[in-house]
Amino acid sequence: MTTGPPMMSMLESYLKLSASREQAISANMANIDTPGYRTHDINLESEFNKVMSGALRSSEDGAEPVQLTPVFHLVQGLMERPDGNNVSLDHEGLMLAKTQLQYQLAIQLIQNHFHQTLSAINGGS
Amino acid sequence: MNLFDSLSISGSALLAERQRSEVIAANMANAQTTHTEAGGPYRRREVVFETRGASSFRLALANNGEFHGPTPGSVRISDVVDDPSPALMRYEPGHPDANKEGYVAYPAINPTAEMVDLMDSVRAYQLNASAVAATKQMIQQAIGILKS
Amino acid sequence: MNSVVPGLGSIGTISPLPKLPSLQPAEGQGGFGAVLSSALHHLNQLSGGAEQQVGNLLKGVGGDVSSVMIAVEKADVAFQMMMQVRNKIVSAYQDIEKMQF
Repeated sequence: MTTGPPMMSMLESYLKLSASREQAISANMANIDTPGYRTHDINLESEFNKVMSGALRSSEDGAEPVQLTPVFHLVQGLMERPDGNNVSLDHEGLMLAKTQLQYQLAIQLIQNHFHQTLSAINGGS
Repeated sequence: MNLFDSLSISGSALLAERQRSEVIAANMANAQTTHTEAGGPYRRREVVFETRGASSFRLALANNGEFHGPTPGSVRISDVVDDPSPALMRYEPGHPDANKEGYVAYPAINPTAEMVDLMDSVRAYQLNASAVAATKQMIQQAIGILKS
Repeated sequence: MNSVVPGLGSIGTISPLPKLPSLQPAEGQGGFGAVLSSALHHLNQLSGGAEQQVGNLLKGVGGDVSSVMIAVEKADVAFQMMMQVRNKIVSAYQDIEKMQF
């Protein structure tokens, strides 16, 4: 029926990664005035690809959840203030908006998936 | 890796920025205070921000485990320090706090600089308040999976 | 199996939902009872796991709200599927009962 990792665990992983990103953004925003603080972020797309390729290998042995340990890296190319802090208000605001939308997308897809399943179960008589 | 932790982090920033604005407000209010209980003019004060759990920050964010104590990545005011700049001396021989030469020591406070600082603090507060709203919306959306 | 519960084929993509064993015709005591109890067993596992995650969430320990919600919803879907399976099995049984030879 399907090849590749099941839809639900894909969406769940994407959701968790978005939440991790949101946490990094919150920390960046909180430390906008901390001297020497550097902006952190995760690369959502590459982390998700890692999960997908990992899940492909394990999907044959059953529903083993792939452990999520996203790598946080320092963001390059941001302007640094004299005290060493490089958090940009606009950059973080933009990333937050983007992450919120990605999270919402995943939630919506998950809801749709459940609805489909439920109508297959209940409506198929 | 928890949205509730994000709330703690943003909440800590709201508190820190509020404390900062209080210190700034005190500076502005006391710009003309020439003598205090401790003697001498009011000393301008500054806050020092500090990231909590900074060393374990990256590891903590990647971890699924729970943490006791402050959430890594959250912020706090670690210290309120006196500005070491020398007092402004103004020639006012009739002033009760004048010294032998007729100079009065005023706090080294520039109201414009304090105002700019305050606006900065307000902006940071608003930023973190919007982070709280965003996190809250995400949690509510997750709960919404169960509806209907 | 598809003739007993039409529509089951389309939900095969969801991994944790129970894979029901195919019905064995006329195996004596096997049959309906075995299918039901196996489905019940899978359902128990799912809802037990979901309950534990909810408990953890309320205690403030461990994962995301989203994971807990998804686990609860999965258990709910599995439950509904089991109810439908039960209904179909019971009605099939009743049909067979009504047959007169």
